[in-house]
Amino acid sequence: MMKKQYLLLIAAGLITFISACKNETAYKTLIITGQNNHNWKASSPVLKQILDATKLFTSEIMITPEKGGDMKTFNPDFSKYKLVVLDYNGDSWSDKTNAAFLEYVKNGGGVVVYHAADNSFPEWKEYNRIIGLGGWGNRNEKDGPYVYYKNNQLVTDTSAGPGGTHGKRREFLVKTRITDHPITKGLPSRWMHGNDELYSLLRGPAENMQVLATAFADSTAGGGTMRDEPMLMVINYEKGRIFHTAMGHADEDGGPAMQCVGFIATLQRGAEWAVTGDVTQPVPNDFPSVAGVVLRPGYTEISLEEVFLKIESYDIAKSTKYLSYLQSYIRNLAGDEKGLLDLEKMMVKVLSGDKATVDAKKLLLRELSWMGSDYSVPAIKNLVQDAELKDEAEYALARLQK
Amino acid sequence: MANKSSRRDFVKRSAALAAGAFVLPQILPSSVFGRGGRIVPSDRIVIGSIGTGSQGMSNMRDFLKLTNAVQFVAVCDVDALRLAKAKETVDLANKNSDCRTYGDYREFLEKEKLDAVSIALPDHWHGIIYTEAVNKKLNVYGEKPICRTIKDGQTIVSAVKKNNIIWQTGSWQRSLPNFHHGAELAINGRVGKLKYIEVGLPDGNKGIGTPPVKDVPPELNWEMWLGPALKVPYRGVSHWDWRWILDYSGGQLTDWAGHHIDIANWGAGLEYTGPVEISGKGVYPTEGIYNVPVEYDFLCKYANGIEMRVANASRLPLGMGTTWHGDLGWVHVDRGNVISASDPKILDEVIGENEIQLYKSENHWQNFIDCVRSGKQAIAPIEPAFRAISVALLGEIAMTTGQTIVWDPEKMEIAGNTRASRLLSHPYRQPWTLPTV
Repeated sequence: MMKKQYLLLIAAGLITFISACKNETAYKTLIITGQNNHNWKASSPVLKQILDATKLFTSEIMITPEKGGDMKTFNPDFSKYKLVVLDYNGDSWSDKTNAAFLEYVKNGGGVVVYHAADNSFPEWKEYNRIIGLGGWGNRNEKDGPYVYYKNNQLVTDTSAGPGGTHGKRREFLVKTRITDHPITKGLPSRWMHGNDELYSLLRGPAENMQVLATAFADSTAGGGTMRDEPMLMVINYEKGRIFHTAMGHADEDGGPAMQCVGFIATLQRGAEWAVTGDVTQPVPNDFPSVAGVVLRPGYTEISLEEVFLKIESYDIAKSTKYLSYLQSYIRNLAGDEKGLLDLEKMMVKVLSGDKATVDAKKLLLRELSWMGSDYSVPAIKNLVQDAELKDEAEYALARLQK
Repeated sequence: MANKSSRRDFVKRSAALAAGAFVLPQILPSSVFGRGGRIVPSDRIVIGSIGTGSQGMSNMRDFLKLTNAVQFVAVCDVDALRLAKAKETVDLANKNSDCRTYGDYREFLEKEKLDAVSIALPDHWHGIIYTEAVNKKLNVYGEKPICRTIKDGQTIVSAVKKNNIIWQTGSWQRSLPNFHHGAELAINGRVGKLKYIEVGLPDGNKGIGTPPVKDVPPELNWEMWLGPALKVPYRGVSHWDWRWILDYSGGQLTDWAGHHIDIANWGAGLEYTGPVEISGKGVYPTEGIYNVPVEYDFLCKYANGIEMRVANASRLPLGMGTTWHGDLGWVHVDRGNVISASDPKILDEVIGENEIQLYKSENHWQNFIDCVRSGKQAIAPIEPAFRAISVALLGEIAMTTGQTIVWDPEKMEIAGNTRASRLLSHPYRQPWTLPTV
């Protein structure tokens, strides 16, 4: 008895130790905000939530002095961080802070450039080399070329003209241009992005930069350049890695541009790459495709528990997203017999219960018809008597009992 | 069935009659064609259509252009408006009002005495209707893909072989010169020893969400449209857009398999075999009634070492079309008379007399009619059509299960994977069954 308690104590200690370790090994992240022509009070907590949700990062938000304030007081110790996220578009930092930031990046510090941060510091040459491309702030041909895709070819265009524009906000299609980069590997080649500003005519030094994804700026929303404009970029600056997302214009609560799973997942993946040069996160089950926008109103991925909770009241006329998620979950369990059986048991429980809708049961029967085992058969046989489910039950049995 | 002896027998008989200097009038009023028309010596092939949607009508127009070669006599569709339009088209061409109409293919097959039938239906109906038509010893012009499942396809292939009819698949790219030339260059080693083939098919579409349940329009027999597929309420999605729903189709992938995968196989000498290992990934819509993969990317390995990658065009460097890569270069073909090569000189190569000469046809529909008359095999016979769609269907299974599929192209079985094996067929809703051969 004593021995068992002793063991439990050790186990409990170990768990505490492991979780403490996990926190300590998460990458310390600094989100810099405080001045922006955009709603930084809305965006910065969302950025923190998105990054911390991966458990790879522990982020803190640092707020600069207000516009016109004493910027000398903004003096972060960058060396404490593995990642710096820029959600800042405002007054110049002090020379000392600028130098410290450059030192941080040169020494291999990771950087995420988020949306309007590429509007910032038009005069600061090294900053522009870090962000690769920028817009507004009187940027023009003196600041570097336009970079975009035209007819599926990457174009570096030195012609004269202003940098930065966007048409009316709308949902748009993002095209992956480099599919074997760690950030984009395994992502759809095309996916719909939530309602956002489509940044266009960005220009800058574009040194050591790769354009990972673009979006076509059509003319229907005004401001259309009829070019495939860069949306996701990676830049190397000495030892530092920079991930630049031109997407994610924030509304009061973040809104669709930030709730978009494509924005969330590329930000999470880009941030990890900026720190380590690699991405260990799996592509989420709800990543969008060309078929349509997928939003996470609470910024967190649906859990399997939530799927089963919702599937009981599944109404095809309202949404199919819980079923799609379940199908994706099943595919990701390929080869995991125990995982599949556990899932099958959960599905059979819903089938045998009286809470789920007919639509829900029909769809579960279709999935079980191929992924199920003998375990499902008795429950499905019971459903053959049910006039509404007879066809689907017979369909499933025809496959399962072959 | 005895009275439904093939056109070939008739041709032989009339030749014998002619040899006996037994002269019959060469031109007859169209009214004698159709029922019993075959006993009259005419060059015209008596033909009808099952399925008069966009592809069915397109084929019909191509057959009607062969004015002196075919006599269109009957049409069948589950949509009364389309049926009326089809009859109008036929009657206009025939300058009469004799085209007969049917809402039920069983009645069509029972009553009509035809030489050939042109069939263009949603894929989930192919297993039943192709097999029944072939069992009636009709020569068939059948739309690709020839089946929705491997099991349906095996049945159709057996039926065609057993009944020894002429089959032409609607894989009309075979009858275009650029595809023919590209395939001949590949199969004759002009890019060296073939190593790798890339096949780019169209990207998927934007979804439409889930439209509300609607009243079935009075012209549409929805129950018959669904047939062997699971019963679902009518949501306004039937004609054309059935292709984005897995119950009826595998999407762009299975739609186009009968074109660019078929061409790939043709030029690689793979048209009578299949891959031994298939693995890959699909991207599926997250919301709405359309559930076919909108992206797909899978790799097939063949027993002879050749590999074939099939993906939606956005994922491939050359986009749409077929590219054969050998150890000396590559050749690419696509629609719009596209043909290109790693070295343009390859395209000027002439295939010698002692090399492999691929079947040549200049008009896909004419080729079918000619073959019905001559008894010669058509340019797009049944088994290559089955092998082309099999690649797509096996890719679909690999993507659905998330597993590497091991396939025996001879026995047509998946090895050691019960789940994947179940996906080789779609059980039919009662009372429909797959006909026996």
